[in-house]
Amino acid sequence: MNNQPILRVDRLSKSFRGLHAITGLSFAIQPGSITSIIGPNGAGKSTLFNLVTGYLAPSAGQIWFQGRLITGMPTNRIAERGIARAFQIARPFRDLSVFDNVRIGSLFGKAGPRDVAATTARAMQLAAIAHLADRPASALTVGQLRHLEVARAIATRADLLLADEPCAGLNPTETAAMIDVLRRIRASGVTILLVEHDMPSVMEVSDRLLVLDAGRLIADGSPSDVANNPQVIEAYLGSTEPEDTESQTAEPAIRQGSKI
Amino acid sequence: MKRDQVLAVLACAALMAAAPILLPPFYIRVGQLMLYSAALGVAWSILGGFAGYASFGHAAFIGVGAFAAGLVEDRFSTLPPPLLLGFGLAVGGVACAALSAAIAYPILRLRGTFFAIAMLGVSHVCAELNNNLDFLQGSLGLNFPVVTPESIAPETFYYELCLFTGCAVLAVAWQIRRSRFGAGLLSIREDEDTARMLGVPTERYKRIAFVVSAVLTGLLGVIYAHSLGYITTDSVYRDDTNLNLIVFSLLGGMGTLFGPVIGAFLLVFVTQVVLGRLLDFHLFATGLLLVILVLAAPGGVLGFARTFSFRRRANAE
Ligand SMILES: Nc1ncnc2c1ncn2[C@@H]1O[C@H](COP(=O)(O)OP(=O)(O)OP(=O)(O)O)[C@@H](O)[C@H]1O
Ligand SMILES: [Mg+2]
Repeated sequence: MNNQPILRVDRLSKSFRGLHAITGLSFAIQPGSITSIIGPNGAGKSTLFNLVTGYLAPSAGQIWFQGRLITGMPTNRIAERGIARAFQIARPFRDLSVFDNVRIGSLFGKAGPRDVAATTARAMQLAAIAHLADRPASALTVGQLRHLEVARAIATRADLLLADEPCAGLNPTETAAMIDVLRRIRASGVTILLVEHDMPSVMEVSDRLLVLDAGRLIADGSPSDVANNPQVIEAYLGSTEPEDTESQTAEPAIRQGSKI
Repeated sequence: MKRDQVLAVLACAALMAAAPILLPPFYIRVGQLMLYSAALGVAWSILGGFAGYASFGHAAFIGVGAFAAGLVEDRFSTLPPPLLLGFGLAVGGVACAALSAAIAYPILRLRGTFFAIAMLGVSHVCAELNNNLDFLQGSLGLNFPVVTPESIAPETFYYELCLFTGCAVLAVAWQIRRSRFGAGLLSIREDEDTARMLGVPTERYKRIAFVVSAVLTGLLGVIYAHSLGYITTDSVYRDDTNLNLIVFSLLGGMGTLFGPVIGAFLLVFVTQVVLGRLLDFHLFATGLLLVILVLAAPGGVLGFARTFSFRRRANAE
């Protein structure tokens, strides 16, 4: 029973009018781990999250969460089961305060006994935004919004957090702070599935890497295994084009950061 | 709403309850219209303000409630008056619950302007049916039995009834606002997809808010019809009501508890008292007031007051 995966994806496919965003994807995630999904732009990472949260219906295949089939379930029922998501583009409730944003997470989310006040406070603490509680969400910086996104997600008492590029647009200091937050969340017992472009952070924080390319899984293993995998180097890290996109997206962020 | 706010509201209500002793009948009738409008505005706001589904056709529920009650009361006119009114309210409420529950699923799939326009369509279809199906007596008109006790002037009776109902509607809205359900509605207004991803049962919540809002509106329609004594389709299915319900919230503060109350008081006072003699000027004045206020204070009166007090505090520091 102990090694039952928390999430199992079985021959999952999704196509958008002929465009195959995900093709025959199968993998399983062990509880308590941080697993990162990497891959070039358009590899299907966000689409995978849309499928797991029930926001999109798969074209084929199945998704199992804690041993139960969740494909076809409405999004809010999946959240009740214990899956939460932090969006790639932060989507705060802009008219509400940080506190109220997080509180809505803890009022809903995973079903069962709830202590809303304590859960809200703990989630803000874990995501390091307790000092911003009374700010309107519309007044936060990009970096603070990313923390809010994570705080609201874990306030739902989720067992599995899907974090979609939580470090995108952050400078190196902010990135380090976010990675630290993710570590603490994992230490609190939450399994994390992470999509991230910042390779040093990914290498440092992940127990395991899954590499997606054009909707297919091309590598799966520990960070060092994957980094030395010739197929990955050739298909992803090594080929010039994605490498270029990588450095293009990473560099402005670093330059921006050093200015601040 | 904190304890002192509750007390303030109760004190206001007590003062308003005593007001008819001093006021001439004309002003009592204006007061009745203000209270009725405020109650309608709050009922509308449960869906339109809290959940962000602004309906442009809530007059449908005023009409359905009024006619359902009137037709049934006509059959049972031998019952004692208080019982008859209670019976009419129950029938009107049930009719609105049935109608709103029946159309909730398809219509709440629409968002924003599409929902507003679809509701306008519902209101017009109901009015058309009411006018053309003979057994509904929409074009012929429908008499309501007198339920006013003989010892009270009718305008005072309906004033007090509207005050009581208005407080009841406000209490319902307040309880919703501070509940988990209310927080869910707010998250739907802010971002429906994100709300669902956090586990908010958005479909169910929207449906409940819709039905509650419709039933309360229907109950108010029943009371309004009694105060008129005789109604035709045109006296309850009114497009100026459809419009005003949005205007109340826009004027007072969209999505707030007291916004529609303030907006309704303001608009009814301006159109009935200030412009009382210029009857045809009403719609123009409504439009003008709306444009001015939306430009000057997009958050309505409450939003304006809040920014003002915020600025003053900032200046003081
Ligand atoms: N709702 C949609 N309708 C049509 N096509 C879509 C939709 N969502 C994603 N796609 C397409 O599917 C492919 C995978 O997109 P996805 O957003 O999953 O990539 P990603 O790996 O998250 O990329 P990025 O690193 O840029 O975030 C892309 O080609 C994208 O254009
Ligand atoms: Mg993406």
